[in-house]
Order: sequence, then C-alpha cells, then structure tokens
Amino acid sequence: MKRVVIPFFLCAMLLSGCSSTRTGENGGDQQSEPWQSTVFAMDTVMAFTVYGHPELQEPMSQLVSRLESLWSVTDADSEICALNQDGQAALSPETENLLGKGLELCQRSGGALDLSIYPVVRSWGFTTGAYQVPEENSLKALCAAVDYRKIALDIQNHTVSLPKGMEIDLGSIAKGYTGDCLAEMLRQAGVTSALLNLGGNVQAIGAKSDGSPWKVGIRNPLGEGNLGVVQIKNQAVVTSGGYERYFEQDGKTYWHIMDPETGRPADNGLVSVTVIGDEGVVCDAFSTALFVMGLDRAAELWRGSNDFEAVFVDKNGNVSITEGLEGRFKPLDAYADSSVTVIRRG
Amino acid sequence: MVKTRIWALLLGGIFLACVAAYFVLDGMQPAGQVANIYQNGVCIASFDLSKVAEGETYVVQDSHGCNIIEVEPGRIRMKEADCPDQICVRAGWSGEGAKPIVCLPHRLVIQIEAEANMQGTDALDAISN
Repeated sequence: MKRVVIPFFLCAMLLSGCSSTRTGENGGDQQSEPWQSTVFAMDTVMAFTVYGHPELQEPMSQLVSRLESLWSVTDADSEICALNQDGQAALSPETENLLGKGLELCQRSGGALDLSIYPVVRSWGFTTGAYQVPEENSLKALCAAVDYRKIALDIQNHTVSLPKGMEIDLGSIAKGYTGDCLAEMLRQAGVTSALLNLGGNVQAIGAKSDGSPWKVGIRNPLGEGNLGVVQIKNQAVVTSGGYERYFEQDGKTYWHIMDPETGRPADNGLVSVTVIGDEGVVCDAFSTALFVMGLDRAAELWRGSNDFEAVFVDKNGNVSITEGLEGRFKPLDAYADSSVTVIRRG
Repeated sequence: MVKTRIWALLLGGIFLACVAAYFVLDGMQPAGQVANIYQNGVCIASFDLSKVAEGETYVVQDSHGCNIIEVEPGRIRMKEADCPDQICVRAGWSGEGAKPIVCLPHRLVIQIEAEANMQGTDALDAISN
C-alpha cells in the first residue's frame, strides 16, 4: 500500500506546484490585471505599473505633460520660465501649491534646499551638459543672489515675484510632487495597488496585489548592485546620490547636488541619502537637503520631524538608518554583512 | 495482488503524466529573465537572458542616434551610445531586474521583465536612485 501512496502524494504536490506557478503571476488579486506604461517627461523616464483601471493610462500621461509644461525651465512658455524672465508671474493652482510647499521645505531644511540655486547649477554646466568648474568670483556673485526667503509668493493674488538676478527651478521637488498628484488621481479612481517609478523616485499606492509591502531597492552609491531594500505601503522612496550626474576634471569629481552656502557640490561626508515618507514632495526635497546637510544636521532635522525616515551612506560606505525603518530595511549585496547604525530620537 | 499492481501502474502513470505536464507548463513560460528593448515606449526587441548562449550585439539606429546593446548569458548592457550624457553606458551590466537601463536622449529603455517567475523573497519591485 505504501508503494501506492507515495507516488500519489508526489502527484498531489506536483499538481499543486503547477497551479501555484500559474496563478502566481497575478498574485492574490484575481480581479485586476496589471498594466504598464512608460512616459518620457521631466528629463527622465517614468514607468507605471497599475492594477486595474487601464482607462487611467491616458489621463496619467496628460497630467505629467501638463505639470511639465508648467514647470520646465527650458520651455519658454512655462510659468517658471516666464517668472525667471520677467521676475514675476501669475501662477496656476498647481504651481502655487508646489511653490508654497517648496518654500516651506526650504525653510524646514534651514536653506540646505534652496529653489533659487538654479543659476549656480547652470554655471557648472549641469543644465546643458557643457560641464565646467566656474571661477571663484563668478560663483560668489551667483551665490549672493541665492536666497529662497526672497521669493515673494502672494497667495491672495496668486502671483510670485523674484528679486533682480534671481531665477528658480522646481526640479528638486517637481518629480516628488508629480508622484503625489498621480497617486491622488489613482486613489480617487479606486486603485488599491500601483507602483510608480518617476526616474528613480518610487511612489507606491497601497500594497502589492497579494497585500504584502512593495520591496524597493536602494542603489549602492559606491559600486554595483543595491545597498539594501526597504518595504513600503502607500509611501514614497526618493534617493539623492552624487553618482548619477557628475563630471570629472583634473582628477576631481563634481556632482550636481549643490551646497547653497558655497555654490559648490555638497561635500559633507554623505554619498547617498534615501528618504521614505507619505508625501513624495517631502521625500524629494529632503533627499537633496539631507545630502547637503551631512549626517549630524540631517539627524537633527529628522528628530524634529515626524513625516519621514531616512537611509544614509557616508563616503566610507557606513550605512545609518532612522529608527522608524528598523525591521523594514535590510542591507543587501556588498552591504549584506555590514552593520547598520540606527539613529534614535532619544 | 493483481489489483494492487493495476493501482500502482495507474498511479505511476498519473505521476509520470504530472511530471511531463510540469515540464511542459514550465517550458511554456519564460524560465528566466527577459530583457525587452523599448524605443519611445514601444518594444522593438526582446532577449531571454537565460537562453543566450554566447555574446551578441544589437544595434538601434534612428534619428535620435545610435546605441549598441550587448547581450551575454544572464545579463545585458548598453555597450556604446553616441548620446551626450553617456548615462546609459555608465549604468553597466544589468542582470537583476527591476532597474531599467535608460538612454534618455535616444528615448531607449532596456527593461528586465518576466521576473514574476523568478521571484524569490528578495525580488525587488523597483529601485530608488
């Protein structure tokens, strides 16, 4: 009898194995099929994976195009371009909202994030690709005009004005905010599972179709692979690192994240900062700001906040996380065996 | 005794059929990772990285410019491109899925897909960078 039973069990196991492979692709969500789309916008490529509601593909892409046309610094018809040219502009509700949020985040960062850094970034050639190290004198002159506190937003009349010589760029917050807008659109339509990747800014709507958290890798800033994985539901993950846009001259590496104090690439010991939070715009702004601030000041800002968590990597490859990520962050690849410092509030 | 033998044969036959079905079904699905090449969001080529036997190159040439894609067993990269920023070339080899290789100026994306069949517990849904 035993001889009969064993193959029977093997059959049963194999059959169940077959069926789980076949349904595995759709996860636990039997009702909604996932669809994907790609949008080239905001100087990057955006990839969307959404469960259900395929009718949203066109509105999503239209929303991205509209926001880009408002905020582009190269499109002469954009609100930001007009503002930079004329020193003042009337604002659409979207731009006013983003600018208001941006200024608040600049203030919270103590000026480590400054929307008026644009002329400095341009002088290094990061806007065109014609890279150069600017003269010290011209940097000083440009830095003198950098001060987000002088951006005069008038919410009563929906206008904004800039002092002479100032130009702004919303690039450090625009993708994060666009992620928030897209997420809002999807949630309102009833989508409960989607993952939006806006050129490395990751925004999750709900959880995976089987109810488990999304697993978002964080790129290793010092080599190949990933430094770790963070699990999220309904949150955004944004990373700033010096590795993606940089140039080398005379053996020195210059990256695009500028310190508003010096007008030079931020050099405060960090090579990568990842911010995880409910709002994409906060994550976007603070990934840049914390990178500029360096670990100690960044930890201080985090202790005084309750809307984000962060992962830091310093020049020597040491990884620190804020305590809210304990149990949600796991080091990977080259970092799998290294110790992670936990930054605590107390 | 004869009855038992019939049962054994019958169940053995079902077992073998199961084994065969398992391999047939498995073979119907991509066994490994598939790299899809998208130009302007449209898939123009596809490589099953687990079935690539030896290295080959694939050239994409259009009005935007020229990209040379190199495929090796289990991995793919942008070998050369005449784009100004070279970000796609610097991205290096990709074999782990999730993170696409992007040549923005040429609107070209190499995306590793069909990971659903490969998914272990550590499979990543996206990469933040």
